[in-house]
Formats: sequence, C-alpha cells, structure tokens
Amino acid sequence: MTVNFTQTIAVRCDKPEELVRSLVEWDCQQADADVMGYIGTHLLADRERPGEYLIVAEFAAVDPDVPAAEEAARNNERPETQRWAQRLLDLVEGEPVYKHYDELYRTG
Amino acid sequence: MTATSRPEHGDAAAASPPTSEEVRLVARGIATAVAPADGLMPVQAALLRALTDALTGYQVDYSSLDPLGPDELAEVLRDRDQEYRQRIVHHMVLGELVLRPLPTDVAIRVARCSEALGIKDSFVRVARRYAQGAHGLAWLDLQRSGFVDHVQATDYDSAQVRGPADPFAPAEVDPALEARWRGYAELPEGTLGHSAWKMYDGRGFVLPGAPGGAPRYLAQHDYVHVLADYGTNLRGELEVFAFIGRADPDPKGFAWLATLIGLFETGYIAETGFFERDVRERNLQAPGMDMRIADAIRRGKIVCECYGTDLFEVDYHELAPRSVDEVRDLLHLPAKSAQSVEGQWPGAFDRAGMSEIQQRFADSHQGRTT
Repeated sequence: MTVNFTQTIAVRCDKPEELVRSLVEWDCQQADADVMGYIGTHLLADRERPGEYLIVAEFAAVDPDVPAAEEAARNNERPETQRWAQRLLDLVEGEPVYKHYDELYRTG
Repeated sequence: MTATSRPEHGDAAAASPPTSEEVRLVARGIATAVAPADGLMPVQAALLRALTDALTGYQVDYSSLDPLGPDELAEVLRDRDQEYRQRIVHHMVLGELVLRPLPTDVAIRVARCSEALGIKDSFVRVARRYAQGAHGLAWLDLQRSGFVDHVQATDYDSAQVRGPADPFAPAEVDPALEARWRGYAELPEGTLGHSAWKMYDGRGFVLPGAPGGAPRYLAQHDYVHVLADYGTNLRGELEVFAFIGRADPDPKGFAWLATLIGLFETGYIAETGFFERDVRERNLQAPGMDMRIADAIRRGKIVCECYGTDLFEVDYHELAPRSVDEVRDLLHLPAKSAQSVEGQWPGAFDRAGMSEIQQRFADSHQGRTT
C-alpha cells in the first residue's frame, strides 16, 4: 500500500477569484489527460490572516510500484506544470512557500 | 499485432456473431481483468453473465473461468473491428465500475487489456481515477470525455437549438417549452405526447420549461421512458440510461450508464446538477436487475444497429402526435425479453416502477381524479 503525498503552497494574493480560476483550468486540463498521480486540490483561505491562502494539492499512486511522491515529482517536471507555476507567480505577492508531506492517516 | 493491422468498422467478417468458443474466451479475458484479489464479486459475475446471455444467447458462468491474459484476449479478438473491441472494453469497464472500492490492480489490468486490444478509451481512464481516489477529477473527466463534445454537437429539437455544453446544466424557464408539453394533454390517448404528459402528470413531475422542471435536454430521456417502457424510480433510470447509452452509435454514450452507476450504485458521483447521489439501496444488486440492465443494453444495441441515431437527438415533439407503437417501430425498438414477464419487470406506468414519493403522489392524484 503506497501512501498519498501532499504538496502545500502558501501564498499571499488579493485576487482569490483568479486563484480559483487558475485551479479550475488546471483541473480541466488534468481531467482528460493521461492518468498521473495528481488527484485534486483544495484552496483554503486563512480566516485570521485575510489575503493569505493555502493550496493543497494531493497525489496518489497510479502504479503500485511508483510512490505518490515520485508521481508528484514527475508531474512537477511537466511543461504545463511549469507554466502553471509561472502563472501563479504572476497572481501572488512575493514568493510562494512550498511544503511536501507524506500522508500518515486519512479518515476512512 | 498493431492496432492498424486490425479490421476497421464495416468489415463483414468482423461483424459476424461470435461462436460459443469466442464468447467463452472473451468472458475469460473480461473476468481475468476485472476480478479483485479474492475473485469476482457476485454483482460482477451476475451482471457479466446476464450481459453475455442477452447479447450472444450463450450462458457463461463467470464465477468459474480459467484466466486469460490481455495478449491472449487480443488474439481472440484480432479479426474484430475497432468498435467491437471497444464495446468489449466497455463491458470490462462496466464490470469494474460496480466495485467500491475499485482496486488499483483491477483498474490497471483493464487498462492493459484495453491497450492490448488497441483501444484508447476515456472510460478506462475514469475507472483508473476512481481507483486512485480522484473522484472529483473522475467526474470532471467523465463530463468532458463523455458529454461535452458529444452534446455540443447535438441539435435536439425542431427549432435546431444547440444542445447545452453540459447536459446537466440547470434548467431555464421557457414558457414556450412548458406550453408545448402542456399541449400534449390534448393529444389522443396512446400518442407519444399524451403518454409522456400522462407520465409527468401522474407522478407530479414539473413540466420542462416551468420553474423547477427538468432541463430541456435531459427531458428528452422521459420520452424514452415511455417508448422503452421503463419506470422512473432509480432502477428504471438505470435501465433507461443503459438503453439510451447503448443505442447511441457513438461509444461515448456509455457515459450515461457510467454516470448513473456512479450516482445510484457506488456513489462515486455526488451530484450532477439534476440527479443527486442515492445509494441507500444497492440497486444493481437487487433481484433481476442484472438481467434488466443486460436486456436494456441488448435493446439499445438493436436500436443502434437499425436506427443509428443518438436518442437525445430525436425530435420527439414532431413525433408526439404519433402512437407510441408507431414511434417504437420507427426506432426499431424491440420488445423487452421474455424474462420481463416472468420477472415482472415494471414498466413506465406500473406503480412498482415509481419511487416512494412518486407512488404517494400517484395515490393522492388517483384519489382526486376518481
């Protein structure tokens, strides 16, 4: 059983609707592409710090022999991912903060 | 063997009925692909057996078949054309979509089989996404691959109005459409229009075009309830969409059954904007449902071969004054199988074909009108 992998991207942004739009476009692009490790995203708004957002991108194994983290690394190398990351830079203030996690538990 | 060396659609030899040997070998290939680690689940074995029986007339016990790998299956189907092989892949996908959870190894085996058969199919990918746990992405994939392009290419009424990009898009209030449906009440008994209106009236359905009514595109399927004689409870919806999907000459029609199974059996799909998930009962596992779905697919296949038009594209308004039997003949719609009588499969106007809410409305409506 391989564990899921999560990437978080913390950003400051005054146009959250643009963030949402970019994620919707990303999902549409991913949906009818070949199956990769990417399985979906949450966008969270910080209630205590208005203007701060957390993008939570989840990855799961496609092939039992390839860990989800490696699928995410492969995904990161794709040109469309690089283009999306570049577009993100245009939408946010300052540098996004990337963090990477292995999933240890998930409710049923 | 490559995909390009295979026969293309229309090859007479490729369209000949399968022998019992071929049927058994294909069954082995399908069962091998879709069986979880502990073997085929009863719902899979029952559905695949019923489907094989309905489509070929051969009985195969799927629970006791020897394995057959992707390459061997590809060899069995080497003389079959692309559409035939794609339909076989859809039977595999059907066999895996009824699983929840859908094991990753099953989804991978089906993908490998599909590849060996030279078929690139979006529903194989949707199933892989379910296996990954990517349910939201799978639904997005299903909509984009199964409906959007397909529906956008559809002119579905006499006014040549373009179909919506999303067949599940919210309905728009349309007084002219509502008036058209209301006018069906004045048509003679036994006509398609009057029967469709009667089905709405007897169940308390809001007419298309009225606030809260079904979207115009989806309302097309209600004519098919009448024509194919399927109920309007969840089991009837599974039947009607299995039928409509297989009647569609475009294999993308399979998206309808895949969607309905996701909504009303496994719960992979939460809501479509019109239908909402309801998995309180495992409808496909109910007695007789394996044969009902298989028979709907059989009837759809005949309509596909003889009529060759997506049933969502039919101008039912123009056909509304004609008798139901006349329209059935036009579509080459065969009767339900003989098992429908013995199994008491409910039809469009049978109480057993209604949901509890529809039955309660029908009871009160009956009280008001008698």
